[in-house]
Amino acid sequence: MTQSEGVGMTNYVILNNVEHQNVKVITERSAQYGDNVHFVMTFPTEFRRVQSSYPIFFQKDANTGKFYPIALFGFEPNENLFLGDDGWDASYVPLMIQRHPFLIGFQEAQDEPDAKRSVVSIDLEHSRISETEGEALFLPHGGTSEYLASMIETLEDIKVGHEMNAKFVDALLESDLIESVAMEVELNDGSKRQLLGLYTINEDRLEEIDAETLGELNKRQFLLPIYMILASYSSFRKLIDKRNERLVEK
Amino acid sequence: MSNPVNTVVIVGGGTAGWLTAGLLAAEYQESTLKIILIESPDVGPIGVGEGTWPTMRLSLEKIGISETEFIRECDASFKQGTRFAGWLHGQDEFYYHPFTPPQNFNQINLARYWQPLRDKISFADAVSPQGQVCEQGLAPKQIATPEFASNLNYGYHLDAGKFSKFLEAHCVEKLGVTHILDNVVAVNAKEDGDIDSLSTQSGTTIQGDLFVDCTGFAALLIGGHYDIPFCSKQNFLFNDRALAAQVPWASADEPIASATLSTAQRAGWIWDISLPSRRGVGYAYSSAHTSDEQAEADLRSYLSDSGTAPDRETDNFRQIKFDPGHREVLWHRNCVAIGLSGGFVEPLEASALVMIELSAKMLSEQLPANRAVMDIVAKRFNDKFLYHWHRIIEFLKLHYALSERKDSDYWRDNCRAETIPADLTESLELWRYQCPWYQDLPHVDELFSSASYQYVLYGMKYITEGPRFAHTSDKPNVVIADGLFSENNRRRKQLLNGLPTNRELIGKVNEFGFQKI
Repeated sequence: MTQSEGVGMTNYVILNNVEHQNVKVITERSAQYGDNVHFVMTFPTEFRRVQSSYPIFFQKDANTGKFYPIALFGFEPNENLFLGDDGWDASYVPLMIQRHPFLIGFQEAQDEPDAKRSVVSIDLEHSRISETEGEALFLPHGGTSEYLASMIETLEDIKVGHEMNAKFVDALLESDLIESVAMEVELNDGSKRQLLGLYTINEDRLEEIDAETLGELNKRQFLLPIYMILASYSSFRKLIDKRNERLVEK
Repeated sequence: MSNPVNTVVIVGGGTAGWLTAGLLAAEYQESTLKIILIESPDVGPIGVGEGTWPTMRLSLEKIGISETEFIRECDASFKQGTRFAGWLHGQDEFYYHPFTPPQNFNQINLARYWQPLRDKISFADAVSPQGQVCEQGLAPKQIATPEFASNLNYGYHLDAGKFSKFLEAHCVEKLGVTHILDNVVAVNAKEDGDIDSLSTQSGTTIQGDLFVDCTGFAALLIGGHYDIPFCSKQNFLFNDRALAAQVPWASADEPIASATLSTAQRAGWIWDISLPSRRGVGYAYSSAHTSDEQAEADLRSYLSDSGTAPDRETDNFRQIKFDPGHREVLWHRNCVAIGLSGGFVEPLEASALVMIELSAKMLSEQLPANRAVMDIVAKRFNDKFLYHWHRIIEFLKLHYALSERKDSDYWRDNCRAETIPADLTESLELWRYQCPWYQDLPHVDELFSSASYQYVLYGMKYITEGPRFAHTSDKPNVVIADGLFSENNRRRKQLLNGLPTNRELIGKVNEFGFQKI
């Protein structure tokens, strides 16, 4: 991940109800809990909800060169224009923001060596971790709290989303549907912001694509996400407006 | 149209043959032009061309090859220039001739503004980050950089044997080149002297309108059939032998050098090329100045000094004898020589593959429509490539002519006035007072730009005396130059920080591949 993992060092351990019986997680949205990121990875499964608030682009993983979709929150590192003194101002918070301080991983099941089961890890160094405030993970007698149950659901969605991202991106590349986009935004004070290293759907190519390929994309449930990305650009204006508002606040 | 050119017959299936076939076939993919490549099943390619220029990226892209596949299949690594060691004094001193020209080379001649700084920073380091990037074994790009794109200009080191096999498969499977494995036993001439056809061992006759001689040193058509005289340039360039070895890495994580290492010896120089799976090392030397035995001993001593010595029992040294120079003409009647058949000099600046690419490029762009206009194209081709040969010989000689070594006859002879081309002597005289730039090289498509001349001249500590005029009018340029020197400094730090090592990047290419965009 190119995202900052909360604030400072990380220490992921597999979650269990004995050692972590008293651990609580602060769920407020704030820069001090690492929410001041200017983008986050997103997944086709949440595009519908993401696009109503944030523009969706693709970006390359610096470590592998592979494309993945992102939701954009700001124009430069540490700038999240949706994050204010009163928390996160949008109708939907993407899964990869929600997940902190948890991570989903895989472990070989002991009884079936070939099967891998997913395991939930928690970053004990994350600034959200507390013993006094926040949501409890476990019930007094060891059962899973409602909060943790919903987080596990989020993590499962992320797992599915990762798999879908890889297939989605491959299908788009195969049909030459991704193109790079360079954007320069001029703010009300005349200053400029450049967005580099972003990619989007090649609309010209999409228009001329043959019916068979379209049908195939649709069958694999990739067509809707493509249009969700295009629809998300109506949210781009929102981003500029929010940035301009901050000029006034200053 | 009388006698249209419909069929091109390429004889020889080494890198020259397949690169020519690929570039030609890619250009004429949608046409009826028929391309036949006939290759002897008995004669293997010589396989010594293992260093390319950045031009190879364009050639591969043109042929329609994926860079990822190429790197995986041809054991290729990234080359960003050449590191010349021991050429000036025969000690540990070295300089780089990187592929990236000096900052803003089109707008300003930085060499001039570097002169006052010459004792503080080397020329290459003052004007380009690439020398330091190479010195640290870093790659010219990142895994997220699209295929063929770059942060710093680069070519490749590759396994020549694997490369020609790779090109063969692509040409035959993707580009529709007809591949015939057979020996040519006779060249059949028409009455007017053109080649009509080739007879093969298996009894077939292969007819063509244009024949490309890619038969290597054998020069079956241009030499064997037409007997076009050879122009030896040994009076300028003494090296006429090479002893080559393939050296395995001692461990799988040894750094892969980002430049060709060229280390001067008492009677020549040793090349050292790093591929992902092995090194290719060889000694190019002058038989008039050393014996084969001594050359082998010197090569072994270089190998053991550099950490790996091939097993003495399994002698994998291979000797190549050559006469440095080229044919008097390269295109004669309906036959054109591309590759070693046309000429060869020591691989000091890796000119062999780039000459093949340029020849094949001109052939494909200027392919004569019919026999009537062929002689016009042939004349232009000859003019252009004889000029290139002239410049190659001059530029290679520059590396020797500036040496201050006096430790052997080889180096003393290399600096004798009569062994230096007259043009070069003239230029060197001029460059004592002014730094080479555009005006010094008249053609638009020079093989070696004035940037290359600058890197070698100032790498070899050549002195260009301070500019002659009072410089009130030049003040703005001094400011621009200072700005570019600082900019280069900043860029160097950034690149040293952000680029992976050559070995790391190749590992990632194997694991993930480059993106096309």
